[in-house]
Amino acid sequence: GLLLVALLVSHMLLTKEGVTSLPICPNGPVNCQLSLEELFDRAVKLSHYIHFLSSEMFNEFDERYAQGRGFIAKAVNSCHTASLTTPEDKEQAQQIHHEDLLNLILGVLRSWNDPLIHLASEVQRIKEAPETILWKAVEIEEQNKRLLEGMEKIVGRVHSGEVENEIYTPWDGLPSLQLADEDSRLFAFYNLLHCLRRDSHKIDNYLKLLKCRLIHDNNC
Amino acid sequence: MKQRFISSVQIILQLALTTVGLTGQSYPGKPQIIRCRSLEKETFSCWWKPGSDGGLPNNYTLFYSKDSRSRAVIVPLYSALVRPHQNPVCSSGSLTARKTLRCWSMSREGQLNWGRVWSMIQPDAPVNLSLETNKSANLSYLWAKWSPPPLSDASSNSHVYHYELRLKPEEKEEWETVSVGMQTHYEVSSLQAGVKYVVQVRCMLDLGEWSEWSSEKSIQIPRERLPPEKPIIIKCRSPEKETFTCWWKPALDGGLSTSHTLLYSKEGEEKVYECPDYKTAGPNSCYFDKKHTSFWTIYNITVRATNEMGSNVSDPHYVDVTYIVQPDPPVNITLELKKSIKRKPYLVLTWSPPPLADVRSGWLTLEYELRLKPEEGEEWETIFVGQQTQCKMFSLNPGKRYIVQIHCKPDHHGLWSEWSPEMYIEIPTDFRVKDMVVWIIVGVLSSLICLIMSWIMIMKGYRMMAFILPPVPGPKIKGIDTHLLETGKSEELLSALGCHGFPPTSDCEELLIEYLEVEDSEDQQLMPSHGTPSKNTKIILKETDSDSGRGSCDSPSLLPVKSRESRSLPSTLQTQDVRAKEKKGGKGSRETQCKASEQKTLPWHSESIKSCTWLAAQLPSNQAAMFAYHSTVEAFKITLNATNVNTSPVLVGNEENRQSLYPIAETVYDDVEKISEMEYSKTDPTTVQVRQNEHNDKSPFLNPKLMDYVEVHKVRQDEEPTLLLKHKENSGKTKKCTLPGISKEYTKVSTVVDHQILVLLPDQRTQNTPVSQEPVAETSQNPQQSQAEKNTSYSTTAPSDSRGDTSGSDYMDPSSFMPSFK
Repeated sequence: GLLLVALLVSHMLLTKEGVTSLPICPNGPVNCQLSLEELFDRAVKLSHYIHFLSSEMFNEFDERYAQGRGFIAKAVNSCHTASLTTPEDKEQAQQIHHEDLLNLILGVLRSWNDPLIHLASEVQRIKEAPETILWKAVEIEEQNKRLLEGMEKIVGRVHSGEVENEIYTPWDGLPSLQLADEDSRLFAFYNLLHCLRRDSHKIDNYLKLLKCRLIHDNNC
Repeated sequence: MKQRFISSVQIILQLALTTVGLTGQSYPGKPQIIRCRSLEKETFSCWWKPGSDGGLPNNYTLFYSKDSRSRAVIVPLYSALVRPHQNPVCSSGSLTARKTLRCWSMSREGQLNWGRVWSMIQPDAPVNLSLETNKSANLSYLWAKWSPPPLSDASSNSHVYHYELRLKPEEKEEWETVSVGMQTHYEVSSLQAGVKYVVQVRCMLDLGEWSEWSSEKSIQIPRERLPPEKPIIIKCRSPEKETFTCWWKPALDGGLSTSHTLLYSKEGEEKVYECPDYKTAGPNSCYFDKKHTSFWTIYNITVRATNEMGSNVSDPHYVDVTYIVQPDPPVNITLELKKSIKRKPYLVLTWSPPPLADVRSGWLTLEYELRLKPEEGEEWETIFVGQQTQCKMFSLNPGKRYIVQIHCKPDHHGLWSEWSPEMYIEIPTDFRVKDMVVWIIVGVLSSLICLIMSWIMIMKGYRMMAFILPPVPGPKIKGIDTHLLETGKSEELLSALGCHGFPPTSDCEELLIEYLEVEDSEDQQLMPSHGTPSKNTKIILKETDSDSGRGSCDSPSLLPVKSRESRSLPSTLQTQDVRAKEKKGGKGSRETQCKASEQKTLPWHSESIKSCTWLAAQLPSNQAAMFAYHSTVEAFKITLNATNVNTSPVLVGNEENRQSLYPIAETVYDDVEKISEMEYSKTDPTTVQVRQNEHNDKSPFLNPKLMDYVEVHKVRQDEEPTLLLKHKENSGKTKKCTLPGISKEYTKVSTVVDHQILVLLPDQRTQNTPVSQEPVAETSQNPQQSQAEKNTSYSTTAPSDSRGDTSGSDYMDPSSFMPSFK
């Protein structure tokens, strides 16, 4: 239900995606099963929306707090999800088995559960944080949960064998978000937002790739 | 003697010219000493400008004196024959110091206070300037050497000159001047490497003026040898999200050959790599193929420029390829014009993603934006179309040529591609426009026609109005053709009415009845107007005019007839009469029209007479339906004639009383009689009977009606039983007629009946009015209700006569005939 609402919201916000309609279960909720295509459609829209938000949020933060501080040079190699080996180019992404890729997506999503919660709370302590950033942090945190739910559904549908153990990487960046030194704290935020933007884009890209591969047989 | 040359001595020169004037020639003009100059403080020269020579060769003689105070000494210093326009040079001998020169001429004096001697001193420019560059401690120097100005006198080499040197870069305007001193060489430092300099020198004796600048000499300062500056990384771009390329701007190398190296390190790796491919993407670029391209990874890229003097490294460039995707513009753009159901053209744009971009796999998602504008337009209209690869454009202006371009961008990040090459499409002119043109033309033409029409209307005015807008005819029976009426064939008329059998059928009767009913209602309205006392026939005429257009002439009777009928007969009859009049009444005088119509239209008359006869004869005898029918049909169309005929008898009656009033009417009447006679042969037997009646009495049809009137009249006043009887007869008949007609007025009649006899109804009105008025007025008023002009004439004309006699006698006859008709 919430997912549906979220999808509706995302649909309204992303009119360019042009969903024709949200099918209503004809046979009641018991027999109601969205097709894989519909599941992917929604997941892609959601991931697109999340990345849109995170990208916007990063840009806003970058403009407001990171100008001239050289954060980008320091931000290299410091995402907590870096330990998850994800495809880094098209070939890798195409070669990896879709179940593995789905699991990776799940792992990344799970890895962000924690930091997003903290981000949503800690970002409010940034000095003069604009409302747009605050709102987006909360929104991303919620949408990420919904996307995780949706992805678990998809994985449950796609997986032939056993569901792998939940993989995720823990995040220990909370102290850095609470640093007393403003510069360090801002960099911690910057880095987190930078990683969020990267991972949300990864997920979005992987999902679009998977959708084309699984639904459209590589002929989108 | 150098020592004796005292600078302070003032030398005054006077150049006197002896001009030898030849016969007939003018004197030479006044010469002018231009300058005197000493090159080396020992000798000096003077130059002068000859005056006008008067066309002849002149002799110039320079005189000078050394002492300004004593003019005694006049020394011819130099004398020469000077050709015209020549600048003579007077070089003096050696000057003795203590003497002041003074010169004057014999005839005219040109005196020049030349000032102090030293002011005359100006050496020539130095010569033999030569330049060299020297390098010491990595710095360039300019080494300039020159020689003092040469003197003719070799003995004077010992002069001491001061020198100045000036130089500038060749391309610049401003000189940099350097005071050199006594030496004849100079070393210039702080020069720009690689620049060509220009150098000049000049000199000066210890007193006097600077010489001219020597001739220019230039020299190229060689470049310096330095390590390159920082190269700058311009940008990195991935065209398809699989590979990427970086470009840099090479460093300034100071003319030395410099090599560039791109080094990069990837996020998460310590190792520094060198660019895998410098060639593929052209000079000063590095191409990263698929193997070397990772996404969601930050590249730290630097470029090092190196030459023999050293190297320099650019600022680091951090790149995540994910965010630098800039695809190529879309391809295969097609523009197609289609037409919708409404025939309005719309544009269908289709395109393909750039060939490099792998959109199918979902790795790259592109969004498109297109822009278009009219060819001559200024501003583009930009439309974002999302991921679709086609677009329909509807609101395009027909007849314009549009330029269309498309570009694309990855869905989240990256840059818009270049715009695709311009595509042109011409939107055909809309057909509606043509239609509009047609409509505009039609509108203009029609308005023109209207204008012409209105102009004609104004010109012809009244007649045209009448022609275009004829008097509105009154309600007519459906399907009746007026032309048929004019031709006067009753059968045709009847057929036109839909009654094929001449004897009226029930259908026809119904039609007639309906018609009559309508008339009734109108009569009620008309009645009061008629009822108002009309004292003259003129008024009647007016009425007829006003009434024109009403169709039915039931009763052949004229105004008087009407008036009488109005009282005696049911209202329906009255109305019919009125209509007859109305039709009859043209715009001109009614009488004249009557004449004309009578004379010209014989058949008409005959029919009219018929109708009238019908009326007259049948009114009493026949049933109401029949009566109504006849009245409507025949009287209707015949109206004009009928009225004429009717009028005539009325007029006749008038004649009897007074002929003066209606002379024309008389003639008309006569004609009518003749005509009637002529026509009678054709007419039906009934008409013949009528004719007889007519002959017997001049107004046969009138008689019954008149009789009615008379009866009423008499009933009111005299109440004689005989009259009453007749009246009863008429009244009974009228009843019959009226009953089907259903006139409300007639119901009133019934009340009248209560007094004694049925007919009293019309009388009631008359009674009521006369009671209040004088007896004479009463008589006049009796006809009053129904346009009583002629009645009035009656009354006025024959007050002395007993009405019963005159009018009664006349009317009695028709009454007697009446039964015969039956």
